[in-house]
Amino acid sequence: MTEIDQASKIGEIIEAYPADQRFALAALQDMQHAFNFIPEEGLAALAEYLGCPQAQLYSMATFYKALSLTPKGEHIIKICNGTACHLRGAMNLATELKRDLGIEPGQTTEDGAFSVELVNCLGSCALAPVMVVDGNYHNKLRVEQIPGIIESYAEGVTDHD
Amino acid sequence: MNEMLTITIDGVECTCQKGEYLYDVATRNGIWIPVLCRSDAFDDHRACCRICIVEVEERGRRKVVTACVYPIEQECTVYTKSEKILEERAVIMALLAHRAPDSERMAEMNKFMGRSGFDRLISVDGEKCILCGLCVQACNSLGTGAISTVLRGTDKKVDTPYGNPSAFCVGCLSCANVCPTDAIEYTQTDTTRTIWNREFDLAFCEECGSLMGTTESVRHAAGEDSEVPSVCDACRKKKLADEMMQTYRYV
Amino acid sequence: MINGTERILVCCGTGCIANGALGVADAIQKELDARGLADDVKLDVSVVRTGCSGECEQGPIVRFMPRDLMYYRVKANDAAAIVDSLEGEPVQKLLFKKDGQTYEHMDDNPFYALQHKVVLKDVGVIDPLDINEYIARGGYEGLKKALTMTPDEIITEVEKSGLRGKGGAGFPTGRKWRTAAGYDVFPKYIVCNGDEGDPGAFMDGSTMEGSPHAVIEGMIIGALAIGAEEGVLYIRDEYALARDHIQRAIDAAYEAGILGDSIMGSDHKLDLSIVRGGGAFVCGESTALMASIEGRVGEPRAKYIRSVQRGLFDHPTVLNNVESLASIPTILRDGGEAYAQVGTERSKGTKVFAMVGKVKHTGLVEVPMGTTLRTLIYDIGGGIIDDRPFKAIQTGGPSGGCIPEELLDLPVDFDTLVEYGAMMGSGGMIVMDDRSCMVEVARYYVDFLCEESCGKCTPCREGLRQMRAILTDICEGRGKHGDIELLERIGRTMQDASLCALGRTAPNPVMTTIKFFRDEYEAHIERKECPAGVCAKLTQFAIDPEACTGCTMCSRACPAGAISGGRKETHVIDPHLCIACGSCREACRFNAVLTERRPA
Repeated sequence: MTEIDQASKIGEIIEAYPADQRFALAALQDMQHAFNFIPEEGLAALAEYLGCPQAQLYSMATFYKALSLTPKGEHIIKICNGTACHLRGAMNLATELKRDLGIEPGQTTEDGAFSVELVNCLGSCALAPVMVVDGNYHNKLRVEQIPGIIESYAEGVTDHD
Repeated sequence: MNEMLTITIDGVECTCQKGEYLYDVATRNGIWIPVLCRSDAFDDHRACCRICIVEVEERGRRKVVTACVYPIEQECTVYTKSEKILEERAVIMALLAHRAPDSERMAEMNKFMGRSGFDRLISVDGEKCILCGLCVQACNSLGTGAISTVLRGTDKKVDTPYGNPSAFCVGCLSCANVCPTDAIEYTQTDTTRTIWNREFDLAFCEECGSLMGTTESVRHAAGEDSEVPSVCDACRKKKLADEMMQTYRYV
Repeated sequence: MINGTERILVCCGTGCIANGALGVADAIQKELDARGLADDVKLDVSVVRTGCSGECEQGPIVRFMPRDLMYYRVKANDAAAIVDSLEGEPVQKLLFKKDGQTYEHMDDNPFYALQHKVVLKDVGVIDPLDINEYIARGGYEGLKKALTMTPDEIITEVEKSGLRGKGGAGFPTGRKWRTAAGYDVFPKYIVCNGDEGDPGAFMDGSTMEGSPHAVIEGMIIGALAIGAEEGVLYIRDEYALARDHIQRAIDAAYEAGILGDSIMGSDHKLDLSIVRGGGAFVCGESTALMASIEGRVGEPRAKYIRSVQRGLFDHPTVLNNVESLASIPTILRDGGEAYAQVGTERSKGTKVFAMVGKVKHTGLVEVPMGTTLRTLIYDIGGGIIDDRPFKAIQTGGPSGGCIPEELLDLPVDFDTLVEYGAMMGSGGMIVMDDRSCMVEVARYYVDFLCEESCGKCTPCREGLRQMRAILTDICEGRGKHGDIELLERIGRTMQDASLCALGRTAPNPVMTTIKFFRDEYEAHIERKECPAGVCAKLTQFAIDPEACTGCTMCSRACPAGAISGGRKETHVIDPHLCIACGSCREACRFNAVLTERRPA
């Protein structure tokens, strides 16, 4: 996306809302959705539109987990660390991913292909432990299945059922 | 609104208006309650340091409240030095002293209010800030809004966006001056001041040569539409008085 | 004979979708299309995508009405057999089986037989996206009745029901409404707390997914009672499906004239909108939630002035949880007294629980208040997986506590467990067996809260930081004499002096595990031993040659390649390669993997 595209997209997102503080979170979420992160220009533009300090929006962007200030990878791997998943070995999945991808939860691989996130309960406790890649659920996952799954995404396989 | 109530604090009968904050009533009556995140400069208090906890007994039920924001709505008995309060205040103090091990004030207060048994706690290396939030409150109340709290939970801190020099900071030092633990660092030379990673030129009075602030803070204080003053407030007043004198003399 | 009343219900709750329910629904639809059943008006067989039926582990679940056949673990390629069975014999392999018995009907299944559904009565039964199905089962009847009543009469009815806030705090809903109704400050707001964040809990998410109109109807009735004309549903960021269903239900309600400028033709108005949560557990706390709706950082404020007086935008606000609101339509329709027939003296009605962990049947259950934990775990949940010994049940998530075996016969309600230092909580229940380390569980929750605390007040932020350091030390063999007492001192101060409910309840997992499992803490600290064999630094694994059958399950599960041994040979763990993750023990079906204290 070029800078001009980004700027016009930011403008489009912001102006969809009235200039009222109560829409700050919604506008930030829309930016997150559009760019996979919140660009600095987006924060500045929204602050000007709402007439609030940029620092206040920066505070929100770092407070809410759904928002991120750095670009995320092409594939997003979420390891559920809800209690049920934790008890059934979610942390072992994280260890295995670190072995395969060389990154800790919260990081993105250097080539920008994968981001790993340790997330709160996804509400699929019956299927623990759960790992979600790009929205596809991998249930009752065993550590030894992970390398194959990673490979299939790296190769761009689309059918993951 | 002017309904008066009588409450008892540590055995002392105190009269107050309904809705008044407990801390204000206590201090007016000479009863000491420690505070850290409360400043008279602001109307609303964040009640986040929790050091001002006291016990309040209402209708036979005792509860722990923070005096700085607890509104008195009915007759009650207040205990500021019960065993429970002394113990819990000591725990909070120990937590603060380990949070900000480089703060002399926290160490001193801990000596005064602390208890033993906390050697085991871990310290946050090199930290002075207790996250009372007064600096952010000060910055916002000035309309600059250059700093805010960043992140959450145990990672929370105060910073400018992206940790970069802020375009909105005017270098006025309000944040540093209101800080109870001297946690906000700044440096100053003969002509410049550096705070929050940004360097400002200092502004001096054209008459007496005294320090007026930074160029930006003087401009900010004057307001958007006003002319930026070149003399300090004292000199401006003096000049005004002199002019008046001159006028009178000729009348 | 297919006569047009047949319906096939495919559970499409989050759990079943994760198990591939959408593919099953598509396959059945295709099968119906192929046989010309879908378009035939006379036959009128439709695939209804329903919300959660509750027994998530057995999903995807397909149910037939009116024959009431229930199929479990359905796969897409079962579609043909399922459509065949519309007229023929049930598909045997898809029926629920237990102890050699096969159960055809839902209500025969012990998982459902002991339940009593009020909140979940339509969940898994109706198509949540079809307002007419909700109406056909008595939906919006409660609202119709409420429109003929004065606010005072509505509130009196709710008071009679004895309904208490099901988010866990248990504050009487009627009293809350009455206080809010008493303020003559407008506008007033009604807010639905759908920010269910307890790890291991999904009651509210499933209710919003499966019966969104019940939540909306409850909100409209609440708005009438207190005089609000605007309402907000704050829904957790992670609950994409719940948000989608609620939004579509709101749209449908507007279209049907149930929301908007004239509620069902009356001169009452109400607008509802969704605010999507930002991903912060603390936003389940009322004042933080409202700060978030106002477009600010979700930090709580001191709550000496209640939200019913000054809440959202400093105006009178009623905040109710999803489950409480979803109970309201039934209370208005059938009367408060009818609702109060069920439950205990001080906790009326039912409670929804999400039961997960080491229990055989995991899923969503709704039972009368006062049901014992033992009934929940053993009669409804079917007992512990692999019939291992029960150790604890964790209720109420990070605000709750761990309950030991000796308290299992206590009735679960708002007050009883509290007297014993635990709590019912919002409804999350995690069953733990002897392979769960209670110190590690406490550390898990403290870890969670270190990240999820807003960080505003000292006791919560710094108390959690210190608790995490101490608990980590204990789990890793660096525990010291006096640590338990220090944890208790910090915990008590957090309970009394923290700013909000999150901080005040944050030490509960630590305090209850110390209270009920002190010996386990002592084993870690004094003997550097983890009795459950979980803490890696204190545990080593070995294979019992007597019990090992050489099935190779453990060596395949080992992520470190530390287990050697061929098929039908006794396997051996190389202690130098072993990372003590416990995968082998989970994989072994013969209890051949043993744990012992790791020598220092």
